[in-house]
Amino acid sequence: MSEFALEIKALSHVFGSYRVLDNISLQVLPGQIVAVVGPSGCGKSTLLKAILGTDPPTHGEILTDGMPVRGPTRNVGIVYQNYALYDFMSAERNVSFGLKMDETSMWMRFLQTRKYFAKRRGHIKKSLEFLRVVGLADACGKYPREMSGGMRQRVAVAQAFIMRPKIVLLDEPFGALDEAMREDLQMMLLRFYQENLIAKKEGRRPEYTILMVTHELNEAIYVADRVIGLSRFHTNGSQGAAIVYDRPCPVFHPDDPRDFSKFVVQREELRKAVFDEHYIKDRDKYVTFWKELGTLANSVAGV
Amino acid sequence: MIRRAIPAWLFWLLAIGGVAFLLGAYEMVSARQTRINPLQSTIPSFEKLGEGLKQIFRPQGLPENPKPPMFWVDMRATLWRLFMGMGFGVAASIVVGVLMGAYRWIEAPLSPVVMFLSKVPPTAMMPIYFALVGTDQKMFTSMVALGIFFSMTQSIYQAVRQDVSDESINKAYTLGASEFEVIYEVIWKQILPKIIDAIRLQIGPAMVFLLAAEMVVGNAGLGYQIRMQSRILNMSIVYVYLAILAFVGLIAEWGLATLRKKLCPWYVE
Repeated sequence: MSEFALEIKALSHVFGSYRVLDNISLQVLPGQIVAVVGPSGCGKSTLLKAILGTDPPTHGEILTDGMPVRGPTRNVGIVYQNYALYDFMSAERNVSFGLKMDETSMWMRFLQTRKYFAKRRGHIKKSLEFLRVVGLADACGKYPREMSGGMRQRVAVAQAFIMRPKIVLLDEPFGALDEAMREDLQMMLLRFYQENLIAKKEGRRPEYTILMVTHELNEAIYVADRVIGLSRFHTNGSQGAAIVYDRPCPVFHPDDPRDFSKFVVQREELRKAVFDEHYIKDRDKYVTFWKELGTLANSVAGV
Repeated sequence: MIRRAIPAWLFWLLAIGGVAFLLGAYEMVSARQTRINPLQSTIPSFEKLGEGLKQIFRPQGLPENPKPPMFWVDMRATLWRLFMGMGFGVAASIVVGVLMGAYRWIEAPLSPVVMFLSKVPPTAMMPIYFALVGTDQKMFTSMVALGIFFSMTQSIYQAVRQDVSDESINKAYTLGASEFEVIYEVIWKQILPKIIDAIRLQIGPAMVFLLAAEMVVGNAGLGYQIRMQSRILNMSIVYVYLAILAFVGLIAEWGLATLRKKLCPWYVE
């Protein structure tokens, strides 16, 4: 088992003569919640697709738990903004779909029905547990069209995490939700993080490793324990977007008040470093996550 | 005002009134025609239609050597041809349509061919079928099958492209599905209601091709009988056959709608 849940080595991506991403390197520890922010069109989606494996990068390498990514596999989970649930399955079946793919074969589904149904009962039971974790115990029999946006997104989160992937990618996960739903789901991620901390203390490998793309700076700092900024506004910007910001951020407990004034300073720093097109700096100026490790408390990366 | 609601009782009253008016008007025209020519059979009265109905269920042939009633012979021939033709046509178009929607390298060579051939009216191709496959069951089957194949392939392929998002396919891979499982567990199940609807919509055209072919070369079948009886102006049988065709259409429509509700309770139009 590798030390890192996700490792990106010197990744660049070129469309024709246009260089989108330039020499991106990144290591994510198991149990981290990493937020990725950046101006629109800076290559966040390209990076996400590369990690997912659907659009391999033109240069460089991506490893999940030490294994190279060669296409979309069950090592990397994904939660899309538009939920992408399967309309024809109820919530519990959507959540248990991965288990069915993983633990039963076509052969078993059609010809060994008794064995299959026994397995399925186990899957459904496990999916109910996960639906309870995301606060949807009552909605297990509902079809996606019968659920609100927030409920669907919870199902999608459970669907991804039930597979225990090395890392789960959240692509603007709460962008289509109203404020109250959004807060609920942010709270849910904070609870996941608390479980990671407990696992870490007990010497287990934390289960919920997340890379979340978002355009909300408050959300990024509030939910994540580390923020990454991707942009072209650096001295070598014509070469493509690079990681120009990589710093830890304060970890909130789900019961803490949502006091955004606590991170006003970091928010402004982030805005300036990543989004200000007139502020051209050396690309490594704010890439200090690994140097700040010693100062981190209450974080899965803390020593 | 457009689309203003009307009370349910009024709706039903008007619906029944519409049917009653049609029947009444028919009877009036028939009676008038009979006054002019008592032997007329072009617009038979309801009494004569009743006789026609009895006649098609009466055993044919001599009493010592009875043959099955006309209705059973024709119905069996037509339904069997329809069933075989649609069976082959639907199965082939599902396979080709799904594969075209799933793989670009299958879509690229096939889509222009399918698009072009779906525009040729199948009834106009009848002489080609006569020449290539003769005039027996094979001809009816291939005519109905190919008649619906191109347009149905087109609609299944469209359904795959529109109803199955790239996201849901990528996600299936991240959940451990193999390529075949993506096709069966995601694509097939997602478009199943669209397939059932496509079959429902193809029954009408399939009947048109089949009846047209039966009128030209059949030796039994609803189309054959309608043409034979109309030649001798036996309209009491022709009208009864037309009504039967309408009922067959209604039953098939209802059956497939019920099947869709049963198999795809999640689907709303």
